[in-house]
Amino acid sequence: MPESPEGAAPAVPVTEPASEPTPAPPPVRSRWETWTHEVFTMREDRFFLLLAVLIGIFSGLAVVCFRLAIEWTQIELLGSSLVPSFPRVVLAPTIAGLVVAVLALRVFPAVRGSGVNQTKSAVYISNGYVPFVTVIGKFITCALAIGSGQSLGPEDPSLQMGAGIASLIGRRLRLSQDRLRLIAPVGAAAGLAAAFNAPISAVLFVIEEVIGQWSAGALGAIVLAAVSSVVTMRYFLGADSLFRVPPFRVAGAFEMLDYVALGIAGGFASLLLLKSIVYARPKLMALPRWTHYLQPAAAGLLIGTIGIRFPQVMGAGYAIVDQAMHGQFTWKILLILAVLKLLATGFSFLSGTPGGTFAPTLFIGAMLGGAVGSIEHHFIPTLTGTVGTFALVGIGTLFAGFLRTPITSVFMVIELSGNYTAILPVIISTMIAYGISRAYQKVPLFDLLARQDGTVLPSLEERREMMSLAVEDAMRTDMVVQCEPGETITDIAKRAEAQPEFALLLRMRPGEWWLLDREDVMRLAPDASPTVTAIRAKSRGPVPYLFPDQTLSEALAVMADWPVLPVANRANLAKLEGILTLADTLMAFRKAPKEEM
Amino acid sequence: MSGVVQAPMRYTGPRPNSREVVLVLCVLTLILLFSFTAFISRQYHKKIHTLADEWFAAGEERFQAGDPNGALTDYQNALVYSPNNTKFQFHLATALAEARHYDQARPYLLALLSESPGSGEVNLQLARIAAQNNSLPDAERFYQGAIYGEWAGDDPIGMRWQIRREFCDFLISKGAINQAIPAVIDLAENTPDGDAARLKVVGQLLLRTQQWSRAQQVYRSVLSSDRRDEEAIAGAGLAAFELGEFADALDDFNRLSPERRAQPEIARAYEMAHRSLAMSPYLGGLSEQVRAQRAENALSLAQARAQSCARQLGISLLETPPRTELQITYATAQTMGDNWNLRNLRDFPDRLEAAMQTAFSIENAAAKECGEPQGDDRALWLLGRSRNMVNR
Repeated sequence: MPESPEGAAPAVPVTEPASEPTPAPPPVRSRWETWTHEVFTMREDRFFLLLAVLIGIFSGLAVVCFRLAIEWTQIELLGSSLVPSFPRVVLAPTIAGLVVAVLALRVFPAVRGSGVNQTKSAVYISNGYVPFVTVIGKFITCALAIGSGQSLGPEDPSLQMGAGIASLIGRRLRLSQDRLRLIAPVGAAAGLAAAFNAPISAVLFVIEEVIGQWSAGALGAIVLAAVSSVVTMRYFLGADSLFRVPPFRVAGAFEMLDYVALGIAGGFASLLLLKSIVYARPKLMALPRWTHYLQPAAAGLLIGTIGIRFPQVMGAGYAIVDQAMHGQFTWKILLILAVLKLLATGFSFLSGTPGGTFAPTLFIGAMLGGAVGSIEHHFIPTLTGTVGTFALVGIGTLFAGFLRTPITSVFMVIELSGNYTAILPVIISTMIAYGISRAYQKVPLFDLLARQDGTVLPSLEERREMMSLAVEDAMRTDMVVQCEPGETITDIAKRAEAQPEFALLLRMRPGEWWLLDREDVMRLAPDASPTVTAIRAKSRGPVPYLFPDQTLSEALAVMADWPVLPVANRANLAKLEGILTLADTLMAFRKAPKEEM
Repeated sequence: MSGVVQAPMRYTGPRPNSREVVLVLCVLTLILLFSFTAFISRQYHKKIHTLADEWFAAGEERFQAGDPNGALTDYQNALVYSPNNTKFQFHLATALAEARHYDQARPYLLALLSESPGSGEVNLQLARIAAQNNSLPDAERFYQGAIYGEWAGDDPIGMRWQIRREFCDFLISKGAINQAIPAVIDLAENTPDGDAARLKVVGQLLLRTQQWSRAQQVYRSVLSSDRRDEEAIAGAGLAAFELGEFADALDDFNRLSPERRAQPEIARAYEMAHRSLAMSPYLGGLSEQVRAQRAENALSLAQARAQSCARQLGISLLETPPRTELQITYATAQTMGDNWNLRNLRDFPDRLEAAMQTAFSIENAAAKECGEPQGDDRALWLLGRSRNMVNR
């Protein structure tokens, strides 16, 4: 209804004459059309938020089905015991590996790998296009692979499935290109959140790893999708955290040092895993194509062989992580399981078997953490942190070191455990592992995989590490003659003559500068009476101003055709800190040290 | 393997007029998918509940058959399908404790305790683990938690009594007698008067914590309802013996069957009671001569014990000035030797008590320096102890 500018009464009051007959109510179809028109012509951003909820529910349902499919496959293929019988333990992953390879190479060619980079590629290369057949393929092949005991997890595939569902809905709704690009991460967050039962971590991971930047435009939709998918998942599978962590407490500051050792161990373990992928993946990919049919089966055979003695390394291994948290293994067993899981995950992942790396990372981290904790307990019996505490911190540590998502890692530990107590140890350990991994492996895992696949995708880490030049790095604190409106032309001309290179800035009021035309000032000066002030001279303005802490990229955006921009003080807009020119900006970029790639 | 998928060429951009239909289809699909998920979810939960129950039943079977190690895997399998089932967790923890994997059982129990701090059975398991780990403070805390915790069975009071008893046994076995005494007294106060079996257990614990008169009282109360209860007679006899009531002890021991009297502890007490009575100058009906003779014998015996102990320690009893208690008491006996000879003790009966106290002091000092005596020396030492009790 049109309103007056003040938003008060309607501009034209409408009154029905009493004598006229009441018009018949509009037909149902017409009313439906009016309503749908109102709904569907709502602002695009609001519609996008509504869509995010819908995508969240779809993704949540898909993830529930996916998790049930994995569990069911596992029960059918490996049996219901934690210790599968001998023929099954070897045959199931081997034969399933063969089937998965055929499906992945013949029927669903885009399902290989974890799914994170595929989603990222969709965002940055394919305008948010994720074919729905990939979702179906991912569902089937991953359920078969993980259910048969391959050392992979369901989280990353869930992420890709969420993205695929979102992409399909977006395409069907004929969303704009921009929205289509955004909708894949929205679905990805929903899928990951439901798989992990951890909405905050999922949102952070998608921002850190899939979008690669903090995008305010997508954040609302991503959060809504993540929350709605988790609510849907919890409706079917319950609200319990992924792991049940026994109660623990973390003592004083001195005990924090104990987690430093875990950070170092986790850092080098993740480095080992990363380096093995750097080394072996291109070599395996370069093998003849027929070997790709056999690689998942070979990985399955190796994992099955390990599983004869240590069945704990098979599958996602959440139940085993739970046992480790409850101190069910000695430090030797924990260490053996960490090493074997590292190997098994390497086999599965490098063979191109579809499946995620999150769950194995959590597993290795928990085992390593538990082992370090047990060993420390042996030498420091008074240690208050339990083996479970170390296992929990280990999860975040390896996650940060291997996947290089430190913020996600910290929040993930809190969400997975439902316990805030371990926050300080997690931060300490995580940052150490992240530092070690970054120091010895410059390119993060997903970037590395993308480069091995021949694509270059942006990452938050890369952007975080990019040299960000500020205005203060390029501005000049001299080279300016600052004038006041009441100043006489003669005085200004004298000062300008003394500094022929300097710009002439006229400060009209705090935060408002005008650029004086030097030539006009010099022209007016000889004949000007002492009462003629700066106002009389030609000037351009107001000139946009900057602050010293703004980036040079921002400066370039406002520079346009201004030859010089004033740099003001944030606390006192009347104070000029310096000036910035295009030449100075370009010089600063040239002088900046180049980042090592 | 790049995974990059290009959008198909036929994609022509937005066409908003089809949104209504797509959204309606989406909602319909959602309803269908929701129903399908609900169906398979229900089937799945049914399946895993069955599996969990089957594994748990298998675990129970093995545990009942005395195979806690075998039951562990079954319980763990059950927990895979029902991870938050506290009953399964508790049974797993119990099996772990039974299989002596205390460090593995503890985290499960602590997790359960954090959920239900008042659970008697969780506290009890934790107390037992703490007891196995020789952690007295933890054991005390958890035993108290178990005693005052909730018990679901038919007889919570009986359960609490059993735990109190277990707690007392634990404290006594760890030599924590000071902590055990109030626990045993608490147990005694929570034992029904007519329950002879439990009263006898309490009596035993009172004896072990050296609460002789309370033990005697408990045994006498048992005997008041059944005079022939041999265990109660033996207990009462031992309590009487420890209280220095040797005559009463002998009375009790004499009522026992020869088999029971032949039990080492009772046989030792029986013999000692005999010896002590035979050495005692305090018995009624003795002539002055016999009293004096017994006192003189006691002094001689004590001095011989002092000499033997001094030899064992490698010290001289005649050191001047005497430093140790043994030297002092021996010097007293030597100094008073003439006053405490047979004749003087007989003629001056008032000196008898001082002579006997010196003999007791020598025995006490020797016991402190060289360990508890044996044979007649022990009988004299016990006599002294009982005499001091009477005097107090």
